[in-house]
Amino acid sequence: MLTRERLGALVSVLLGVAVVTVSLLLLGSHVPRVPERFVAAGVVVRSPAPDDVASTFPQTRPWSPEETSALVNRLAAVSGVVTAVPDRDFYGQPVIAGRPVPDQVRGQGWAGAALAGHRLTAGSPPVGERDVVVGRALGVPVGGRLTVLTAAGPASWTVSGLVDPPALYVADPTAARLAPGVRAIGLLGRPDIGAVTAAVGTAGTVLTGPARGALEPRADARTRWIGLQVLTAMAALSAFAGVFVVASTFAFVVNQRRRQFGLLRAVGATPRQVRRLVHREALAVGAAASAAGVLLGALAAVPLARVLVDAGLEPAGFTVRWQVWPPLAAFAAGPVVALLGSAVAARRAGRIPPLAALREAAVETRPMTRARWATGLAVAAAAGAAGLATATTDDVRGMATTSLLGAMALIVAATLLGPAVLPALVRALLWPLRGVTGTLVRENALTAVRRTASTAAPVLLTVSFAVFITGNVQTTAGAYAAARDAAVRAPAVLVPDGTPGLADAAVTGTGGAALLPTEVHVDRVAVPAVGLEPAAYRAAVRDPGTAAGSPAALAGDTVALSRSTAQRFGWRPGGVAPVTFADGRRVALRVVAVLEDGAPAGLVLPRDTVRAHDPSALTSAVFLPERPAGASAIGARVVDAASWARQADAEEDRLVWIFTVLLVGVSAGYGAVAVAGTLLMATARRAADLRQLRLVGATRRQVLLTVATESVLVVAVGALLGGVVAWLALQGSMGALREQAGAPVALVVPWPVVSAVVAACLLLALAATVLPARSLAR
Amino acid sequence: MVTPAVSLADVRRSYRDGAHRVDALAGVTVDFPPGSFTAIMGPSGSGKSTLLHCAAGLDRPTSGTVTVGGTDLGTLDETALTRLRRDRVGFVFQAFNLVSALTAAQNVTLPARLAGRSVSPAALAAALDAVGLTDRAGHRPSQLSGGEQQRVAIARALFSRPAVLFADEPTGALDSRTSRQVLRLLRDLVDEHGQTIVMVTHDPLAATTADEVLMLADGRLVDRLTEVTAESIAARMAALELSC
Repeated sequence: MLTRERLGALVSVLLGVAVVTVSLLLLGSHVPRVPERFVAAGVVVRSPAPDDVASTFPQTRPWSPEETSALVNRLAAVSGVVTAVPDRDFYGQPVIAGRPVPDQVRGQGWAGAALAGHRLTAGSPPVGERDVVVGRALGVPVGGRLTVLTAAGPASWTVSGLVDPPALYVADPTAARLAPGVRAIGLLGRPDIGAVTAAVGTAGTVLTGPARGALEPRADARTRWIGLQVLTAMAALSAFAGVFVVASTFAFVVNQRRRQFGLLRAVGATPRQVRRLVHREALAVGAAASAAGVLLGALAAVPLARVLVDAGLEPAGFTVRWQVWPPLAAFAAGPVVALLGSAVAARRAGRIPPLAALREAAVETRPMTRARWATGLAVAAAAGAAGLATATTDDVRGMATTSLLGAMALIVAATLLGPAVLPALVRALLWPLRGVTGTLVRENALTAVRRTASTAAPVLLTVSFAVFITGNVQTTAGAYAAARDAAVRAPAVLVPDGTPGLADAAVTGTGGAALLPTEVHVDRVAVPAVGLEPAAYRAAVRDPGTAAGSPAALAGDTVALSRSTAQRFGWRPGGVAPVTFADGRRVALRVVAVLEDGAPAGLVLPRDTVRAHDPSALTSAVFLPERPAGASAIGARVVDAASWARQADAEEDRLVWIFTVLLVGVSAGYGAVAVAGTLLMATARRAADLRQLRLVGATRRQVLLTVATESVLVVAVGALLGGVVAWLALQGSMGALREQAGAPVALVVPWPVVSAVVAACLLLALAATVLPARSLAR
Repeated sequence: MVTPAVSLADVRRSYRDGAHRVDALAGVTVDFPPGSFTAIMGPSGSGKSTLLHCAAGLDRPTSGTVTVGGTDLGTLDETALTRLRRDRVGFVFQAFNLVSALTAAQNVTLPARLAGRSVSPAALAAALDAVGLTDRAGHRPSQLSGGEQQRVAIARALFSRPAVLFADEPTGALDSRTSRQVLRLLRDLVDEHGQTIVMVTHDPLAATTADEVLMLADGRLVDRLTEVTAESIAARMAALELSC
């Protein structure tokens, strides 16, 4: 039986299940795609994957040129192998009309064209040092000249041939020079997998079929990871909000049906039977809502997948894979959410005394029971612990999780303890209101403290989530920017413009301090490293200090370590650090210094050493001693230090902001449903009261004014408590940021978001109460 | 001596009202023998409803013991108490208290079904016949008159063949003609089936149906009348109300 009371619970479970369905469907679709350049190679041998991860999305450890050629020879001898082609992948970006072509930043050796299944459609393969084969869409004819950016800088190349899809192929010797380290060897033909595996031995892993998806670019892996975060957070948030809304709806329903439950108790229902009755009702609502929610979620999955791809939260080409388990799991989630949500209400229903059937008045005696105090304080303590954990952690990902958990716990605690502070809050808020309306509203709110608190709960949820999430994001962004700004002494910074990084040609002659990031492997651990010129770097950046040794001695095969890296590998100044570079060469570096926190990377090397071993590494930024007068080189531009600090994470910030908007959208959507639902119920229930008011002589206007004032009061209470919750939760995040940034952090309160959310709640609340009251008060 | 159907020994019940303590029952000792029909009267606030609720296990006394059919209610937990009420005790209230979504027949069998017992159609027919509602079985409470609703409530209370039937102002919401019908029904139950009935009322005429009238004032038993006429009861009541 679907009553108006249960509608709120039904809609919130329905929405929750829909969001969970979408999230699970998309999570199930998260299969890495085989990169374009390996689609024609049925078997690919990949270099050994790192065991441990010090950088977020590590590459595999490359083979050296000698290892590569030995392995290629072994593989070519396996029966069924037509050719074994090493994948030589490097930075190469065509420049058209003075602008680097966006989204086309990788080049390969011509032999690799066979792995991708690309065929010449005009001209001949690249042979000379500056010959190149490109995609037809660039519009350069065979024999024409094309500027190509490599890590060395822009140069004029001759187009020797064309292929149909976008691509950039150079002669194999050139590719071998640009990409000396190889991470994958593609096999053409129909080799026997067992024989291939035997030939490879421990030198790498053999990938076939969909498993070749492991070769996807790091950027795609990272994008998918962000997508994963968005989807799991959305699913978790909607499950929490679903439980919360069902809990408040059922608390309300049970309160309204006190008499009925009392009667059942009086005629012989045991407390257990009453509890079961409420549970069964919740299950029925949950199952019905689940079915509709799964359907809605399945319908929404395809458009949402497109939105996520457009927003950059999923890699291009991401599509929904239809599987059976996501809808099934989501369908199970509905009744579970409904049962969890109704558990407390059911317990309370079971405790209704039989005499409740004989008492007419719905006056609550005790708004705060001992159990409510105990639970509320326990949850508040848990929230405090989560806040403390957040404030002291140095793990960025862990911080996001604990701070969200802390915020959720705080919301629950505030909802439970709300009735204790409500009377004082109501008196304070209504203090300026004199006259009969004020009295009516105040007495109504104070005689039904529990009811007032449970109508304010959804507003609390909406406001606190919106403020906490946006406040957290903006405060974090501000803190990182401030930390970067504080660390840099240079007045201007040269940054990439339309390219993934700066080529050497753009860097040389600027006289600035350039950062050349690369990745090295220590045994089987991938570690981020950076190449720089120590003197120039110290001039441009505030020195975090040296713990031991002297960074000035950085030259040749030497390295300075961050404190954590030194501890991790047990290296000391004067000792030796054996690393494998991007070209697969193993080099024993001499440790010259250990740096204090704030080092630019785990390993700091001389710039020349990095360049010698990673010919395709790109400079991320150059700190300039003064603002240059002339125009910048191709693919570079100059910004002042402050805007560099702000924009350094611009792309990341953009993704995070989309993420934020999605999360706030989901939680605010729930809030809206719950606010409207509970207030609609509350007003319908008070029909008799309102008619009574009319009978004793209140005008219709006075009745409506009373109802409207009550709604404003409820929203004000919810918004105030929600604001306090968000503020407390943000304190935890700020502690963590202070720890990381090592600098004071300013709390950013997103006032536009706060006002928009509160205004929306107010509007909904007024619509949900005044409109039905208009007909009731006739 | 026969075991009383219900027995109260020094039963006290007090409520907290803010800082005040209100004694609704200030030590009541009374036995209701099997097959007796007792009316409880007294001015409002004298504790007569509280007495009924404590005797029926709907409310727990602050001190003292209540025994129903030899079982001390104080030793039972909430579920056991509910089972005892379901099996041994029947109630009829002033405001009928039927579940509005259920038909007359469903209301009658509700306690039995809550107890998990199967309901024979014959037993249901007999119960409805006893209160003269055979032709109203499929009607919902909103389609029944006040008297009919109260008779459904009586049929429900008697369906589990309780040791004792408690009635709280059973005629309070009825006109005098239907009141008489309901009271005659109760009297017949005592005379023909030996049913024990305890009834709270403020109507002297209703009280004359009973074998004995207990007078309560300020939570204490102040009088027992066995020769009951409407006049004697009214006189006694008037005196009590004046003294309050």
